[in-house]
Amino acid sequence: MRGYHDVGGKTAGPIPMEELPWMHWEKQTEALRNLLGDGTRRMVSLDELRRGFESFGADKYAKHSFYRRRLEAMIDVLIEKRVITRKELDAAIANKRLVWTEVK
Amino acid sequence: MPHDHSNVAEHDALVVEDDAGNMEGQITVDALQELLVSKGLLTHPEVTQQIARLEAPGTHLGARIIAKAWTDNNFKHSLFENAKNAVVDMGIAVGEAQLIVVENTETTHNLITCTLCSCYPRSILGQPPSWYISKAYRARAVREPRAVLAEFGLNLSDDIDLIVHDSNADMRYLVLPQPPEGHASMTTEDLESCITRDHMIGVARDC
Amino acid sequence: MSTAPHDGKRVRFNIGDVVKVKDLNKSGHVRVPYYVRNKQGRVVQFCGLFLNPEDLAIGNTAGPAIELYRIAFNQADLWPEDVLNAGDQLVLEVYTHWLEEVFDTASISP
Repeated sequence: MRGYHDVGGKTAGPIPMEELPWMHWEKQTEALRNLLGDGTRRMVSLDELRRGFESFGADKYAKHSFYRRRLEAMIDVLIEKRVITRKELDAAIANKRLVWTEVK
Repeated sequence: MPHDHSNVAEHDALVVEDDAGNMEGQITVDALQELLVSKGLLTHPEVTQQIARLEAPGTHLGARIIAKAWTDNNFKHSLFENAKNAVVDMGIAVGEAQLIVVENTETTHNLITCTLCSCYPRSILGQPPSWYISKAYRARAVREPRAVLAEFGLNLSDDIDLIVHDSNADMRYLVLPQPPEGHASMTTEDLESCITRDHMIGVARDC
Repeated sequence: MSTAPHDGKRVRFNIGDVVKVKDLNKSGHVRVPYYVRNKQGRVVQFCGLFLNPEDLAIGNTAGPAIELYRIAFNQADLWPEDVLNAGDQLVLEVYTHWLEEVFDTASISP
C-alpha cells in the first residue's frame, strides 16, 4: 500500500525551476509548528504533521501548496487532540476575513 | 484556488498559491494564532521571535562550514566523525538530530533529496528551494539523477560515480564540494563566496 | 564513511553486512519508501538510536528507541529495467525492524 506522498521513482516532468518567495504566512505557519512542537508544549510533532498530510487523501494533498498542507495538517492534529475545535477556528477565520478585507 | 505557473502536466505541477490563495493562507494562520494565544498556548512576541529565528539561517552558514573544511583538515575530519558537534563548536546552532556531510571527489558526486516530503538541513541552510520540494525533483532524483543534474546544467561524466542520498529519516545532509583550483591562496571571504546553496544540495559541482 | 558515535554497545548490523529491506505492509506513517522495499543493499553506517516515527506519528512516545542504519544500494539493483551507470548508488536510512540479514551473498552484485 503506497502513500500518494511516496513518489520516489515515479515518472514526472521537468523540474520547475522558478524560485518562489517565502511568504509571511508561510513563515508564520512554520513558526507556529515549531512552537507547538517544542519541549514545553509537545502538541504537534513533525511526525504527527507528516502523518497529517499523508492522511488528507490524494485530492486534498494535490490541491494545496506545500505550506498550506503544513498548515492544514497542523490544524487537523490540533482538532484531533481537542486543543481547538473546528467551530471556533471557523469563527476565528470569519473574523479575520473581515479584518483583512477591510484593510484591502 | 491555487493555479500553477509551470507548463508541465497537471499532475506534476508545482502548486503555487495565487493572491487569493495567499490571502486564505494569511487569514487562516492569523486566525489559528489568535485562537492559540487566546488559549494561553503561545504569545504573539514568541511567534515574532520564532519567525526571526527561521529567517536567520541561510546559504552563508553552510558556506562557512564548507570553507572551513577546505582550509582545516582537522575540522574536515571532525565533520565526518560528528558533523553536528563540529558545526555547533563553530557557533552555528543545529536543530536537526544529526548532520551528515558527504564529500565530492574526483570520482564521486553526491546529490541530496527527500522523496517522502522535504527534509533539508533548515537550521543551517534555511528553507529549501521550491524545486527541491517539487514532486518532479523528489520523484526523479532517485531514479534518473543524471538527467535531473543535466536540467541544472550539470552534465556528469561517466567516470564519476553519482551517489544519491534520500533524506528519509533522522539524518540531514550537506554536500562538501571539491575546493576550487588555487583555493590554498584564496581568502576565507573569497572561498565562502564561491559556495552556493546548489553546491551543498548537489545540483552544482564546480565552485 | 565513519561510524556514527555510539558507546560501543553491540548493534545488530556491522558495516558491510548485506541486508534486505522487508515490506512490512504497514499502514499509517512509515519512512521506508516504496522503491527500496524488497531490495538488497549493504550497511554503510550505524546512525544511532531513535524513537520510531511510526509510533511518534500517532503520539506514542513510550519507545523503545530503535536502531537506524544507512543502507547503500546499487542503482542498477533498484531500477533493473533502466540503463544506468554501474557505479551509481543510492543511500538512505532504514530502521532495524525493516531490515533482515542476507546470508546467501553470492547472488548480490558487488
